[in-house]
Amino acid sequence: MKLISTLIGTGLRGTGLAAGCVLGLIAGSQALAQDYPSKDLDWTIAFGPGGGNDIMARTLIDIIQKYDLYGQDIRAENRAGGSGAVGWGYVYSKAGSGYDITTTSGSLITTPLQADTPWKASDFVPLALLATDDLAIMVSGNSEWDTIEEFIESAKETPPTLAGTGTVNVDFIVPTLFAEKAGFEFEYVSFNSMADMQTALLSGAVDAMVGNPGEIVGLVESGDMKALIYSGETTPPALGDVPTMDEKGWGVGVSMPRGLILAPDAPQEAVDFWRATVEKIVETPEWEKYIETNLLTENIKYGDDFGIFLKNAQDGFEKVLRAQGAIK
Amino acid sequence: MDLFSDLWMGLSVAISPLNLLYLLIGAMVGMIVGIIPGFGPSAGLAILLPVTFGMDPIGAVMMLAAIYYGAMYGGTITSILLNTPGESATVASTFDGYPLAQNGRAGPALVMQAVASFTGGTVGVILITLLAPAFSHVARNFGPPEYFLLALLGMLTLIVMIGENWKLGVLSALVGFALGTVGVDLETGQSRYTFGFAELIGGIHFIPIAIGLFGLGELYFAFHQGLHRIGSGSIAPYDRKKGFWPDLADWADTKFTLVRGSILGFVVGVIPGAGATIASLMAYSFERSFSKRPKNFGKGEMAGLVAPEAANNAASSGAMIPLLTLGIPGSASTAVLLAAFLLWGMRPGPLFMEQNPEFAWGLIASMYLGNMALLALNIFAIPLFVQIIRVPYRILAPIVLVICTLGTFSVSSSMIEVYLMFTAGIVGFFMRLYGFSPAALVLGLVLGPLAEEALRQTLTISRGSFWIFLERNGSIGIIVTTAVLLVVLPLMQRIGRRAGASKQGSVSEAEDAGV
Repeated sequence: MKLISTLIGTGLRGTGLAAGCVLGLIAGSQALAQDYPSKDLDWTIAFGPGGGNDIMARTLIDIIQKYDLYGQDIRAENRAGGSGAVGWGYVYSKAGSGYDITTTSGSLITTPLQADTPWKASDFVPLALLATDDLAIMVSGNSEWDTIEEFIESAKETPPTLAGTGTVNVDFIVPTLFAEKAGFEFEYVSFNSMADMQTALLSGAVDAMVGNPGEIVGLVESGDMKALIYSGETTPPALGDVPTMDEKGWGVGVSMPRGLILAPDAPQEAVDFWRATVEKIVETPEWEKYIETNLLTENIKYGDDFGIFLKNAQDGFEKVLRAQGAIK
Repeated sequence: MDLFSDLWMGLSVAISPLNLLYLLIGAMVGMIVGIIPGFGPSAGLAILLPVTFGMDPIGAVMMLAAIYYGAMYGGTITSILLNTPGESATVASTFDGYPLAQNGRAGPALVMQAVASFTGGTVGVILITLLAPAFSHVARNFGPPEYFLLALLGMLTLIVMIGENWKLGVLSALVGFALGTVGVDLETGQSRYTFGFAELIGGIHFIPIAIGLFGLGELYFAFHQGLHRIGSGSIAPYDRKKGFWPDLADWADTKFTLVRGSILGFVVGVIPGAGATIASLMAYSFERSFSKRPKNFGKGEMAGLVAPEAANNAASSGAMIPLLTLGIPGSASTAVLLAAFLLWGMRPGPLFMEQNPEFAWGLIASMYLGNMALLALNIFAIPLFVQIIRVPYRILAPIVLVICTLGTFSVSSSMIEVYLMFTAGIVGFFMRLYGFSPAALVLGLVLGPLAEEALRQTLTISRGSFWIFLERNGSIGIIVTTAVLLVVLPLMQRIGRRAGASKQGSVSEAEDAGV
């Protein structure tokens, strides 16, 4: 019985794969004329199933398969462990390959700063930045502060407590840079999960928190939380009439990159192919829907522009974290 | 009444032939992922999520939710038959479930677990129907100080798990705490005890450790005892005389256990982060303190199986409340469910049930039906599952090994966790051999980091003052509850014991009074 159950389990998993194979076969006949792609694509997801990185990678793969954008099969593998160290380490080991692709998160920058990984974000071949995760500073719905000015004014007298996810993370870096520019201090309280953080704010344990709009917009709509300021370029309408940090002159210029990279030293033909493919992906209604439901900020930068973005983020993160003593 | 019209409307949504089919598929898949150790509901949900993209959202969420609570049924089957929890919420079910099977009572144990699961699940859904709005307000009062106190409360269960040799038991728990410190320190962001290995910065997850200690440890121990040389059916004889159906004493002993376990499980499940695992462990230890025969716990007491089973199913229902009313997932599985909601463009929050009544009540109504389907499925399938015991150990052992390995890998597709699982298996064997407590180690590993983080967050917030625990209503509530439990339970236990003293003898009284 046990064997049978295992077989049923794998069988169910197989349906998705089989569907992918069929699509791949149909698409394969069209691609014979090109040199690239001529092999199956190995798509590394450096995190477990169900997370933000996984959902983005699988959305991209679905779009590519639906529109037959890649002529061969795509094999998606979750190679999780060590906050991305395992998955990206695997892609790094495939230097020179044009068939090893992976999606990025903030950890691409922060993990090498924390642990002694053989690779850094700048070692990979940057294909395209697709979107950024930006943050809003939130307070409880019944809080005395209605605007960021009121918040800062009171913060200058008594530093508030502000919650975020993790320390070596944009959640810590964005408010730190923001507070420096706006001239106040705060006490950072680090949480492991969004859920614990939200209840900490709603229960009145912390004064404020930072969060991605996608995770908090329901609580804003219901009036349980208020957004005070947003770190991205334009505030999503769902958060209400909230200013951005740039508008107030306290821009921080740091956000979490969601993009695509290839293994180091990937051949130019692969880079060219993917640039053209990404241009098609971002035009699809499925991609628009993904950006919309996850309230990401669309921010498309190709090739070297993405490379410079990563390098700046890496330097910015390192500077702040070193100054705060979070890394040595 | 509004409530009934809402529920009726939900039922009419759920009872379409296609939706019922999805529900049944979900229940079956849930049982299967539950049976495979380590392959928990969260991994099953995540892998099936893409399959649901083209489906109608209501049918899809009914199916995914059924996978989630169906796994709570399936997970116990291997706990009872192989001493290998199918997933973390059924760890507590091994304590008495496995001894029951060894005593030749696998059949009744499996039937009782199905009944307990059904009761827990159904009580849970009834409570969701009645209390969803009210509970969302209670859950809102839980910040770091309350989580710290809850973790302390959870550590009381260590006292139960430490076992007969308290020195070795305490040492086991301390090893668990120590393993819990590995990884990035949440507050300062510095790596602790990773020895330069990037693979360890995420910390040591308790699931591979639990599978290794319980599953492989037990396997190696069985080899040590020479079970592989014995032929078919001799490990834990399935005694036909003792039968398949539970006897009257089983029902009589556990009727209140069912109620207690269900309610406790539900309450713990509603609290985000606490989840089914802690609910089942707490239910086990509370049941032991209520019992007239606490000495029998761990040796095959039916109540010791029924309590955690009712609790983990009720908790999986309870966890739907913060998910639906706050958009806050209480566990890895509900986090994947939340991801599914978002994929369909639905955003759970305080207004969700008002704005999407068909969706929310359709889901709740489907949970009544799903639990009934699972009860029937379980009872029909039990004679099949019991055959596992009749398979010679030398054939069963390699299968268990493969399942443990596959299961561990599928949790987060990490080879590091597979290596950790094998290491834990060897450690578990020696712990078993020399009388240490693997259960205390796992609990230390779960609760240690939780308590450490919550305490440090609390003290950052209060700027170092411990008075914060007496300034918040939620904290005071938990402190009072704990105090009541610590004082009242032993008293009730003593009264109960006195009533039954003539039958029981009084040898154990002095030792147990402190629990």
